[in-house]
Amino acid sequence: MFRTEMMDINMGPQHPSTHGVLRLKLLLDGETVTDTDVLIGYLHRGVEKLCESKNYHMIEPYTDRLDYVAAMYENLGYVETVEKLMGITVPERAEYIRVITAELQRIASHLVWLGTHALDIGAMTVFFYCFREREILLDLFEAFCGARLTYNAYRIGGLPWDVPPGWTDRVRHFVKIFPGRQQEYDTLLTKNRIWLGRTKGVGILKAGDAIDFGVSGPCLRAAGVSYDVRKAHPYSVYDRFLFDIPTGENCDTYDRYLVRMEEMRQSLRIVQQALDGLPAGEVMGKVPKRIKPPVGEVYHTVEGPRGELGFYIVSQGEDKPYRMRFRSPSFVNLQALPHMVKGSLVADVVAVIGTLDIVLGDVDR
Amino acid sequence: MKIQAFLQKVLLLELWQGMWVTLKNQFRPHITVEYPKETVEFPPRFRGVPRLRKDPQTGEELCVSCLLCEAICPTECISIVSEKRPDGKGKQLISFTINYERCCFCGLCVDPCPTKPITAIYMSHDYEFAGFDRDSYVTAREELVDGKPVKIYTS
Ligand code: SF4
Ligand code: SF4
Repeated sequence: MFRTEMMDINMGPQHPSTHGVLRLKLLLDGETVTDTDVLIGYLHRGVEKLCESKNYHMIEPYTDRLDYVAAMYENLGYVETVEKLMGITVPERAEYIRVITAELQRIASHLVWLGTHALDIGAMTVFFYCFREREILLDLFEAFCGARLTYNAYRIGGLPWDVPPGWTDRVRHFVKIFPGRQQEYDTLLTKNRIWLGRTKGVGILKAGDAIDFGVSGPCLRAAGVSYDVRKAHPYSVYDRFLFDIPTGENCDTYDRYLVRMEEMRQSLRIVQQALDGLPAGEVMGKVPKRIKPPVGEVYHTVEGPRGELGFYIVSQGEDKPYRMRFRSPSFVNLQALPHMVKGSLVADVVAVIGTLDIVLGDVDR
Repeated sequence: MKIQAFLQKVLLLELWQGMWVTLKNQFRPHITVEYPKETVEFPPRFRGVPRLRKDPQTGEELCVSCLLCEAICPTECISIVSEKRPDGKGKQLISFTINYERCCFCGLCVDPCPTKPITAIYMSHDYEFAGFDRDSYVTAREELVDGKPVKIYTS
């Protein structure tokens, strides 16, 4: 007379906790998730194809729109890839400023992650505090390059401008006040029993599985694999700075939280060292007026806040790329989602999406 | 150690610590502004809508119709029509239109402009340009030079 039935539930694309337009088709047995289909493509803009019809200068604003929460990294990865292809050397001051802005961007991106992740799980206060500190960073970026989200802050061969007067002092001020603010998030979350209950043991992703799925970034490091592009294949001037790669042990959402919190501290360390060692000089290298890389192909990666961000360019000696491909960390990390939520409760799906820290602009491109 | 853990559990210590943080933050100054009654101040490099400008000294238009900005614009939103000057020296503008609907405020058009140090095209600080129809975004040369009259909102 009575029987149970599996049920299909659609989550998204207009769901506040999917951080954009992600659609999940969950197959539920009661409250337990037995199968997940990840349906993407709602934000697909065809940027890769579009790049084939734009010259190398014009592509940079388009890279801003991929991972719009951490657009500095998209800019950085793109310009470094073209520089690698053409063999352009960038002045040292420009490299240092790039490192400073990029690491500040990592903090800003992790603040968005922390705020929204906590908000999804039900801790609303943290969200406001995180965005308050992010505001300071966005003001710094605005003073540096004129925009708050889509920066277009670098150019092939260096930077369009030097930093404005007084900017480094403002960065120093931020470096000084931020540890105290981070302590506040720590107090609110790290030992909070609700937070522990919602994150410990949730969304386990073991090291072997993470590597098989191609997961990178904090999600991989929380599984105990100490892999960071900044250390493994140092780009820019990262080999000159001292910093640690935090890793986790339990492979769960809570460890990923701890890893990202520690990453913010390490980023601050890098910013401090880069500020102290900031050399004087030019910020723009010698670049031909028309960017025409030689025939060839190049792949270059940077360590974005979400993981390994790769750019692949095939050049046929024209001023436009023949093929452009982005290896976006959000897209690759998202593949692990069905595996991570299998057997958990519906409410945990929200926590797992939050901990993967995806940006749909990066997933769909 | 066990007693400490027990006390922590019973007395909800970590929750009270969190409450203390929120209480402290009640007394921090506000950082939000009540737009549109108040507006924030922009840094000099702020990128609003691109506009054209005249030479501040002579009052003449600076643009020499080199079409470089049109060529570099990634969204192809600038369109320039120009003709040879009657005296044969250089070109003069007939029309210069920017379609704000397509502009992505990247600021690339300013980079190659040859009229240094004051570039003819520049990123202004105007950001309030909402319109009711699409045509209102196609902005012609006169408006680009003088700027649209900005409506001041008061309560
Ligand atoms: S700001 Fe960018 S999109 Fe807008 S007109 Fe200039 S180059 Fe074109
Ligand atoms: S680049 Fe400057 S001078 Fe050349 S057409 Fe554009 S606005 Fe005029």
